[in-house]
Amino acid sequence: MSVIIDGSTSVTINSGAVLGITSAPAQASTSGTSIDFTGLPSWVKRITVMFNGVSLSSTAQFLVQLGDSGGIENTSYVSSSAQARDALASIGGTSTAGFLIYQGSGGGNNATGIMTICLISGTTWISSHSAGNTAASSGISGGGTKTLSDTLTQIRITSTSTDTFDAGSINILYEG
Amino acid sequence: MTHRIVVNVETGVTSIVEYTAEEQAVHDAAVAAQVAAEAAAAEAQALADAAAATPAPTEA
Repeated sequence: MSVIIDGSTSVTINSGAVLGITSAPAQASTSGTSIDFTGLPSWVKRITVMFNGVSLSSTAQFLVQLGDSGGIENTSYVSSSAQARDALASIGGTSTAGFLIYQGSGGGNNATGIMTICLISGTTWISSHSAGNTAASSGISGGGTKTLSDTLTQIRITSTSTDTFDAGSINILYEG
Repeated sequence: MTHRIVVNVETGVTSIVEYTAEEQAVHDAAVAAQVAAEAAAAEAQALADAAAATPAPTEA
């Protein structure tokens, strides 16, 4: 028996997972305190969060939070991120409120890069990120882990403070 | 008013949702916790920098 995939539509396998990578609609990150991607299917095992020149209104850092049917969870993360700068000492931090992306504390900072979040087992997710900040000629990297109380259904990109997004765009890819 | 953007990947619908009072309170509490953590980290870094800058004692 031959199987032909012509690319005209998605292909599902026995578990219900869609074969290949699915993209959400990209969002302009120019307002609001967070961007939520909800309705993620239960078969998702890897999420890629993409930042394209994203910046915040003040001095906060980026946070990526996971959620399930009970809502977004904002505690019990183990997360760290650091920024290696061209002309200044490295800086960084940790967070238990989400997966931290430490873009720096000065105005005009931004991030372009990727955070990958993978299901390692059960409801435990592992994250890793790598990004650049053109305002500081710097590279940002880090990682973290979080065990959800239930199956992941949503993801939130926000900040460590009350900052609002003021530039760039954000999107996610997800796959089973 | 604080709002967030919500994208439902199942339906493709994007909406702007204003924060409820309860969500705003949770958000503010998280902000306070993060500020405290960053202050502690900054203080630890300052102590470490000061220790590193202190010259080692020399023998007379």
